[in-house]
Amino acid sequence: MLYYVNININGADIKAPKGSSVLEVAIEYGICIPHLCHVPGLSDIGACRLCIVENITNGRATITTSCTLKVQEGMIIRTNTDRIKRLRHNIAELLVAEAPNSRAIQDIAVRCGVKEVRYPFRNGDCVLCGRCVRACSEIWHANALGFIGRGKERHVERPLNMREEYCKGCDYCLQLCPMTVPPCDGPMKPGEEYLCGKCESQLMITEDIPESCVWCRLGEGFNCGRYAGLKTVR
Amino acid sequence: MPHLNTKEDLEIMGKQLLLDREKINKTIIMCGGTGCTASRSRDVIDALNKELVIQEMDNEVHVRVTGCHGFCEQGPIAVIEPGNIFYCHINPEDAHDIVTKTVKNGEIIERLLYTDPVSGEKVCKESEIPFYKAQDRKLLFQNREVNPQSIEDYIAIGGFTALAKALDTLAPEEIIREIKISGLRGRGGGGFPTWRKWMECHEAPVDEKYVICNADEGDPGAYMDRCVLEGNPYLVIEGMLIGAYAIGATRGYIYVRNEYPLAVRHARNAVQQARRYGLLGENILGSSFSFDIDVARGGGAFVCGESTALMASLEGKVGEPRPKDVHTVVDGLWHKPTTLNNVETWANVPSIILKGASWFNSKGTRGSKGTKILALTGRIKNTGLVEVAMGTTIRHIVYDIGGGATNGKAIKAVQTGGPSGGCLSVDKFDLPVDFDVLYEAGSMVGSGGMVVMDESSCMVDVAKYFLTFLQDESCGKCVPCRLGIDRMLEIVTDITEGRGTLEQLELLEDLADTVTQTALCGLGKTAANPVLSTLRYFREEYEAHIIDNKCPAGVCKALIEYYIDPEKCTGCGTCKQACIHNAITGEKKEVHVINTDLCQKCGICRSECKFEAIQVS
Amino acid sequence: MKSLKMESILNGRSSQPHQLIEVLQDVQETYGYIPEEAMKEISEKLGVLLIEVYRVASFYKAFKLKPSGKYVITICNGTACHVRGANLLLDQAVSQLGIKPGEITDDGLFSIEHVNCLGACALGPIASENGNLGHHMTPAKLRKFIDSIRRKEREEVVNASPQY
Repeated sequence: MLYYVNININGADIKAPKGSSVLEVAIEYGICIPHLCHVPGLSDIGACRLCIVENITNGRATITTSCTLKVQEGMIIRTNTDRIKRLRHNIAELLVAEAPNSRAIQDIAVRCGVKEVRYPFRNGDCVLCGRCVRACSEIWHANALGFIGRGKERHVERPLNMREEYCKGCDYCLQLCPMTVPPCDGPMKPGEEYLCGKCESQLMITEDIPESCVWCRLGEGFNCGRYAGLKTVR
Repeated sequence: MPHLNTKEDLEIMGKQLLLDREKINKTIIMCGGTGCTASRSRDVIDALNKELVIQEMDNEVHVRVTGCHGFCEQGPIAVIEPGNIFYCHINPEDAHDIVTKTVKNGEIIERLLYTDPVSGEKVCKESEIPFYKAQDRKLLFQNREVNPQSIEDYIAIGGFTALAKALDTLAPEEIIREIKISGLRGRGGGGFPTWRKWMECHEAPVDEKYVICNADEGDPGAYMDRCVLEGNPYLVIEGMLIGAYAIGATRGYIYVRNEYPLAVRHARNAVQQARRYGLLGENILGSSFSFDIDVARGGGAFVCGESTALMASLEGKVGEPRPKDVHTVVDGLWHKPTTLNNVETWANVPSIILKGASWFNSKGTRGSKGTKILALTGRIKNTGLVEVAMGTTIRHIVYDIGGGATNGKAIKAVQTGGPSGGCLSVDKFDLPVDFDVLYEAGSMVGSGGMVVMDESSCMVDVAKYFLTFLQDESCGKCVPCRLGIDRMLEIVTDITEGRGTLEQLELLEDLADTVTQTALCGLGKTAANPVLSTLRYFREEYEAHIIDNKCPAGVCKALIEYYIDPEKCTGCGTCKQACIHNAITGEKKEVHVINTDLCQKCGICRSECKFEAIQVS
Repeated sequence: MKSLKMESILNGRSSQPHQLIEVLQDVQETYGYIPEEAMKEISEKLGVLLIEVYRVASFYKAFKLKPSGKYVITICNGTACHVRGANLLLDQAVSQLGIKPGEITDDGLFSIEHVNCLGACALGPIASENGNLGHHMTPAKLRKFIDSIRRKEREEVVNASPQY
């Protein structure tokens, strides 16, 4: 028996299944909230902070990640205020400055309105989104990957280099990793990174209603919750 | 140890212990806290004990080894009663004189007296020491009365009577109301109204609840909690007992950071002793309330001071904070309602219950009541732990208690609240220590760290220092904290190395704002404070680095050069020997010269030169 | 030999995953670091995934994944110590021993740790060796201290060598 609660997103009254997150509901209803670490079917950790929204309670707006926020009766959510847009832009800018060598990250940057990157580029090969770690733990329960180290040293590693003992060869980590698809013009060599921005033409369609989902090919790069051919992982 | 079955048992025992205590003629109170121990107070204590045996006075003189008094720089410290005579910087060799002259005959040993650095005069009595007098030592004062390894000491001075009163005469809701009226706010940094936490947890419709004492004092430069927990763990336990009774918790944890081994030992010992007396366990003091405590050690992570990270750590996991869309008072440790409070918060509870909420809220400002322990360190004459009423001005603390600048340099700023706090300039020194006022000013009371800086500190370098610290301690889970702090540090480093631009200042402010608003936990949310507050009050220093390529304080290595003043150099060769980069040349008794190509400006030579001949341009 | 020590550490903690940090602390105290073999034994006995044991061991500063030197020089970099020139001590230690924090000297005698606040702030700058705090340290004091340890070690080697 599914219970529903009534919530309001961007002025629209929506019936949301109890126990679902605001992000899931928004995606279902075609409201685009950019996200990276969320994968339908896997647990949500709120790490990338792209999916932030304003949760209005008692007249005050709290900023929180929509993937971890469970729906509650009477909730009022704004996904695209000027403040949120600016914050999301800055977070996407940080991401693309760190790892521009990924189609997914470049697409997210364009979707969040990044037109120039104010930091020196680095050619990182992991954005620590945790998709691989969670997939490995939650789909086939192989537990062959994990986050090791803290802060800047945090990285994904095998348990003491023991791959064969744990990995089941399901390849979900590869399928979900945003870094496996290079940017449209090909891989960027260190020192030659740049903001691609080619998909801006896509954006022109969406600029009138910025929060609506237009099934843009931008989501392809990172298996966006709505677009994904891999709609649910299970 | 007799089991205390009722409130009356406790009273009788307390009275007896007090009588026994009063029978002792003479007491030497020796500080055995971590600070004084580092100054070899243990050797002094041993020497005194030996001396007393030799002089056959060990039966009439009691040596009470206590926890930290807060005046660490003067250690080893002793107070001799009766007479209230205060001695400092004691060596083991002084033991003979102390026993023979002072303890036996009441004679004062001048050379061991404290000299007030401001007036230059010697002070004889502990109660007259200006550093202490200018404070309001409600909590710290108890440390001198109690040997932290003796629960009997604590009971003798009235310990656990607040608990007895609570169990006997107050219902849980009444206790929470009392805490509400007192106005107690969290002493760990958040300043959250304690009663609200307790109330929400109390109302959670779950049988199993927990209380936690957060002794993961990670702020560098802060050691108030260490002092209270090391010196009087019973006070904290009593506070937790009262809180647990009010909330309906059956189990408590004291989570002590790994770097405080003495505090861990004393806490564990105190819990064991309390159990033996029946003050922890089933049916405490004959009531229906049962409660026990475990002491857990941290693994070495500043982020574990954050409540959800601490709880994860207690569960044996990595200290990664989680989103607090649901409060921990409803869903906390093991997903049960949990009330987490700081050491000092718990320590304040017994006196509120015993002396009443109005006693507590008679001190302080409208929004911040009671007293607060601060760790006053840095470039002032008197450093140590300081307890003041909320509302005391920074000026009073820095000058009247701290004694003003050391080394004749002008005081420039005060940094409060640790890495989550900010720096305030001198013109803000009339601000009171108050949660809301300091928050508005861009800093915070935080856990109570207060570092005084003078003109030898570069404020951009200070921002860099805190960012480096936070980058090291970040758990790394969320993007704004992990990448944001990294990029802020990159920009500030550029500025300290002469590569900064004014556009970067704008970017820094934009980024700082983003990190503050989007980070997952308190560490990230407050990470930008050092940057934002130094930009607010010391923007000219940033601009000097960027526009003039100068570091006004002479700190940032890329922007300064070391040279030897030929007028002052005596050719002693100390600097040449000390230089680890072989950058100094010179013959004996001749003026030495620094090769600026090799010089890395590490500063070692400068710190060794006794003639102040090495200057910075 | 190793297994006996591990057995006593793991005794009574079977299938108690929340004891992981306490167990790791005991292992750290016993061996001076967390050996890989120990992590595997812990994983089995406590019922914690190996990746999780590794994760916790790598997260907390108290746990070292590589052996430390016989003498660990810990330099406090808390705010109060920093303001009093803690970086001078670090520069001195690094240059005198030729290693960076976290590394171990070739003879296995020394390693350097750089920590964030030991809680003895009024006495800074602090450098400690295996728990013994040295207060108001200066680069010169530190230099002398390290030299004295080196001398002591050399004497012990001389004394220990067989006398003919």
